Amino acid sequence: MNWALTLWRLASFAVAAGLIALWQLIANLKLVSPVFLPGPDRAWAALMRGFSNGTLLDKTIGTLEHMFYGWLVASVVGIALGAMIGSSRAMRSYVAPSLEFLRPLPVSAIIPVAIALFGLTQGMALFVIAFGAIWPMLLATVHGFGAVEPRLYEVARSLHMSRLAVIFKIALPSASPDIISGMRLSLTVSLILAVVCEILAGLDGLGHWVLLSARAFRSADLFAGVILLGVIGYVTALAMSMIEQRLLRWRTSGH
Amino acid sequence: MTSIALRKDIPSAELEKSQIAFSHVTLDLGGKTIIENVSLDVKPGEFLCIIGASGCGKTTALRLAAGLYQPTSGHVSFDGEPMRAPRRDVAIVFQDYGKALLPWRTAAGNVALALETIGMPKAQRPARIDELLKKVGLPNHAAKYPAEMSGGMQQRLQIARCLAQEPKALLMDEPFGALDAMTRQGLQDEVLSLLDASKATVIFVTHDLEEAIYLGDRVVGLLPHPGRIGIDLPINLPRPRDQLTTRENPEFLRLRRELFDFIKASEA
Ligand SMILES: Nc1ncnc2c1ncn2[C@@H]1O[C@H](COP(=O)(O)OP(=O)(O)OP(=O)(O)O)[C@@H](O)[C@H]1O
Ligand SMILES: [Mg+2]
Repeated sequence: MNWALTLWRLASFAVAAGLIALWQLIANLKLVSPVFLPGPDRAWAALMRGFSNGTLLDKTIGTLEHMFYGWLVASVVGIALGAMIGSSRAMRSYVAPSLEFLRPLPVSAIIPVAIALFGLTQGMALFVIAFGAIWPMLLATVHGFGAVEPRLYEVARSLHMSRLAVIFKIALPSASPDIISGMRLSLTVSLILAVVCEILAGLDGLGHWVLLSARAFRSADLFAGVILLGVIGYVTALAMSMIEQRLLRWRTSGH
Repeated sequence: MTSIALRKDIPSAELEKSQIAFSHVTLDLGGKTIIENVSLDVKPGEFLCIIGASGCGKTTALRLAAGLYQPTSGHVSFDGEPMRAPRRDVAIVFQDYGKALLPWRTAAGNVALALETIGMPKAQRPARIDELLKKVGLPNHAAKYPAEMSGGMQQRLQIARCLAQEPKALLMDEPFGALDAMTRQGLQDEVLSLLDASKATVIFVTHDLEEAIYLGDRVVGLLPHPGRIGIDLPINLPRPRDQLTTRENPEFLRLRRELFDFIKASEA
C-alpha cells in the first residue's frame, strides 16, 4: 500500500516537473512572445523579488484576509441559519425549495447590487464573498441537520437532554461531515470571489496585483501572482482536508 | 408471583403495586388501530417478556411503555404517575444498536452522554464509566469508536449507557435479534446477572420463544391485527437459569410447546 502511494507521489512530482520543463522550453524557444509568457525562471525571480521587497507578501496577506473574513462570516451565518432550517421539518419543506432557487443565481449578478449598496469598499468585498460562500455551507448544513438519525433524538428524549445539548451533542456532530465538506467548497469560492472583488474595487491583494501587472505588461509579476493564488488554493484545501481527517476520525476508522 | 421472589428479594408490599401499568390502552397510527384495549400490570423487579408474530405490535407496545407514543385511549402509568413523556428512569435498549449509539464518540464517550445528562460531576465520571464498561464486559474497549466494535459489543455498549441512567425499568426491543446464537446466549446470561444486581423491572421484546422463557418471570403473547394480549404465562423455572439444564427442564419444554401452539394459532 505504502509503496503504491510513494510511487504515485513520485509520478505526480514527475508530471509537475515535466510541465515546468515544457513551459521553460516554450519560453526559451519564444513560441509565445516573452511579453505574454515569461519562463519559469523569470516568474520565480519575480516571486523572489516581490517577497524580498515585501510587496507580494502584503498582497498575499491582503487576499488571505479578504478570503478568510468572508468565509468566516459565511460559515457562522451559514451554519447557524442551516441549523435553524434543517432541524425543523416544516422549515425544511417551506424554505429549502427557495434556497434551491436562489443558489444557482450567479454571484456576479449580485456584485452590482453590492457595489450600489457599499461602494467600492472592503465592506462590498466582505458582502460579496460571504454571499457567494454561504451557499455550499448553508445547503450542506440544512442537509446534515435534516439527516440526523431519528433514533438518536429518541435517545435524547429518553435522557431528557436539553435543547441546547441536543444541538451541540447530537445534531451538530452528526451533521459535521456535511458541514465540513460545505466549508471546503466555500473556501474555494471565497478565494475566487476575493480575487474578483480586488480586481473590481482595486482592493489591496493579489487580484489587484495581477491586474496591474497585466496592464503594465509585467508578465513575470503577473505569473508570480497567479502562482501564489494557486499555492493559496492548494494549501488552504490541504489544511482543510487535514482538519477534516482529524475531526472525522470516527468515520474512517474501520475494523 | 413466587417466580419473582425467586429472582430477587423484593418486599411483599412492593409486589402489590405495579410499576408499569397499561389500562385499556388503544393506539391508532396512520388511521389504523395498532394496539387495542391492552391492560397489563408489570410489578417492580419483574422480568416480563413479550412475544408475538412479526408486525403484531411488540415494538409499538414497548414504545408506549417508554412514553415515546401516547395512547389514543386508555392510559399508561409508571409508579402510579401517568406516562406523558419519556422518563429518565426508564431506559430503552433499541434493536438497531448501530443507530442508537453516537458514532463520533468512543465507548467511554457514549456512556458519558448519559452521565453528563443526569448531571454527574465531571470528576466522578471516569470511575463510573470504567465500572459500567466492566459490568457489560467491555473493560478494554473504552477508547474504541462504535465502528470499531462488533455487533455484540455495540449492543453491550448500549446496555451500559442505559444502565448509566440508573433506570428503575429497562425496556429492551429484540436487543439480541441481530446477533449470532453464541453471542446471544452469552448476552442472555450477562443480562440476567446484571439485572439480578440492579433489581430493575424489565420488559423484553423478542420473537424467540426460548429466549423469552429462558429469561422471563412471565411471558405475554400478542395477537396481531390489532395487537391484543392473547396469552399471559407465568414462568416458574428455578433461578439462576442455566443454558443447558434450564432448557432441558420438562417445564421449559411444556412452556415452549404452549407458546409455539399460541403463535401458530395466532398466525392462522
Ligand atoms: N408509525 C406507524 N404508522 C403506521 N403504522 C405503523 C407505525 N408503526 C408501526 N405500524 C404498524 O403497526 C404494526 C405493528 O408494528 P410493530 O413495529 O409494533 O410490530 P412488531 O411486533 O414490533 O414487529 P417486528 O416483530 O417485525 O418487529 C405493523 O403492522 C406496522 O406496520
Ligand atoms: Mg419490532
